[in-house]
Amino acid sequence: MSTRTLTETQASQQGYESYNFWKKALRRFRKNGLAVAGLILIILFLLAAIFGPFLAPYDFLEQDLVNTLKGPSAAHWLGTDELGRDIFSRLLYGARTAALVAFSTTAISLFIGVLVGTWAGLQGGRIDEFLMWISDLIQAVPSLLLVMLINTALRRPIIGWFDRLYEQTKNPFYLNTSWLDFVLVFSALALVAWPGFARLIRGQVLSVSKEDYVLAARALGSKELSLMVNHVIPNSLGPLIVAVTASMGGAVVMEAGLSFLGLGVQPPNASWGTMLSNSLKLWQSFPHLLIGPAVTIGIIQVAFVFLGDGLNDALDPRRVT
Amino acid sequence: MLQYILLRILRWTIGLTIVTFATYAMMYYGAGDPIKRMFIDSDDFDATDPAVVEALQKKYGLDQPFIIQFRNYISNLFQGNWGKSIRLNVDRPVWDIVKFRLPVSMQLGLAATVLAAVIGILLGVVAAVNHNRWLDRLIVSSVIFVTAIPAFVTAPLLLFFLVLVVNIMDVPYGWNGIFHSDVILPVCVIALGPLPIIVRQTRSAVLEVMSQLYIRTARAKGLSERSVILRHMLRPVLTPLITTLGLQMITLINGSLFVELVFNIPGFGLLTAEGIKTVDYPIIMAVAIIGTFIIFISNFLVDLVYPLLDPRLRYS
Repeated sequence: MSTRTLTETQASQQGYESYNFWKKALRRFRKNGLAVAGLILIILFLLAAIFGPFLAPYDFLEQDLVNTLKGPSAAHWLGTDELGRDIFSRLLYGARTAALVAFSTTAISLFIGVLVGTWAGLQGGRIDEFLMWISDLIQAVPSLLLVMLINTALRRPIIGWFDRLYEQTKNPFYLNTSWLDFVLVFSALALVAWPGFARLIRGQVLSVSKEDYVLAARALGSKELSLMVNHVIPNSLGPLIVAVTASMGGAVVMEAGLSFLGLGVQPPNASWGTMLSNSLKLWQSFPHLLIGPAVTIGIIQVAFVFLGDGLNDALDPRRVT
Repeated sequence: MLQYILLRILRWTIGLTIVTFATYAMMYYGAGDPIKRMFIDSDDFDATDPAVVEALQKKYGLDQPFIIQFRNYISNLFQGNWGKSIRLNVDRPVWDIVKFRLPVSMQLGLAATVLAAVIGILLGVVAAVNHNRWLDRLIVSSVIFVTAIPAFVTAPLLLFFLVLVVNIMDVPYGWNGIFHSDVILPVCVIALGPLPIIVRQTRSAVLEVMSQLYIRTARAKGLSERSVILRHMLRPVLTPLITTLGLQMITLINGSLFVELVFNIPGFGLLTAEGIKTVDYPIIMAVAIIGTFIIFISNFLVDLVYPLLDPRLRYS
């Protein structure tokens, strides 16, 4: 114990920094201007999602039927839509929808993916083949079609389930069907997205379990669970962070796409996709309806890609020197 | 070789069967009876005579239990009968609708693939040849934007720019054949889907090939730069690209769905959206089976062609 502290102090006295993967990754990330810009935009997006309703100049449902379809002005920064609702405020509320879908979808699919991937990687053999075949199959089906199918298929059962909950509890919370759309969108997107995480984790489990230190831990009598927690997960954190970023960006696009098709978050809830598809009827006379949501989705997506690329470069263990 | 092919066919057949079964089950247990939904959607559900509902259910065979319905569907399918549309296009045979819609999307997809391949390879080679100069940086960073922004954002933004700002075209609308100028914008937007991966892959492959010794030999024996690129560089670059194109079918299908919706093109993608919105069983089944089949076939072809193109990878 004492010798170890001694060498560490000696090392720092001599100006050597102790090896730290995360510190180096952070330094590499900070050097990458585009990635930092992406991160700042994503943070702004998340802040808008959390505090949007307090920042918004108008309520997102407030209709002003005198001032419908007005272009940008001092009162309405991005103009108003066909019901006189303030577009800027609706975009802020839409950020909340998008962020909620991004977080929940990623959390659910990550959970399923880690379970399946670990199981497949540790068991190997038939179980591994079967699980990977299932995830291959899901990835081979046209993703948008699958999401649309699951969304349509789940709608009625979930509504029935909420109705029964209301009858049992008489809690008016269950009558509010606007939550249903969110639950539907998360579940459909997560059911399509988990195979990506499962493959990643399985690959990590397979490659890490070949390492000598895992063999050593096994020889010392470590159980599978502690191998997972102590070795596999810490060693997969880098690629996992990249995958999570990509998955959040993907979920934002998918939610907007589903809403664009009229299958996602239903009105009166604000969603960028719905705003965009509504604008398609009127854009030739009122282009401001289209520009707001289209540019917002574009900026957020570009920010996610910059952030993802930057993280990928920063966390790539092959670049550690 | 034969065993390899048979194994692949068996795998994809089982996959397609599972997709068919799962879709039918999802529709039956999840989406529910389309006849009832039709009356619920039409507001006067309470006023409808239950006998009418029952008669309609009987007509479409929807009064049977799940297994029998599914068996009937499959046996009809093997006789080439895809059923009749229930709501979207009442009583019209589904195959008649698909027969009209699918070629539209296939022509759009094919044109988009060719366009994406030509432009993508060109940009990739140009970027690699100018490695780390401003042209390379420009191409690489514009590709990032193209990757990031989805088709349903690109299409309206391009429309806005081309119609309102620059004012060089009218809004393309509907389907007037592949040779009508209205298809130019839709094809370009669909082509943006697979474009980034083609550019990126071509660029990195050319960069790798450029450092090979045989390229140095080709230069040393006095070939012009053009024939070095065309004869010696492109061949090893293009073979992996063919497989990439095959695997990009999902992007094409997803992209054409939005593009057909924006430009109102009566293709397969629009049929998918309409079928799912109206919960029209037979249409949804046909769309799911055909869509999955197209992907499976293209993956299967990639599996087959890949070892032929790359002699290092013989069937294992």
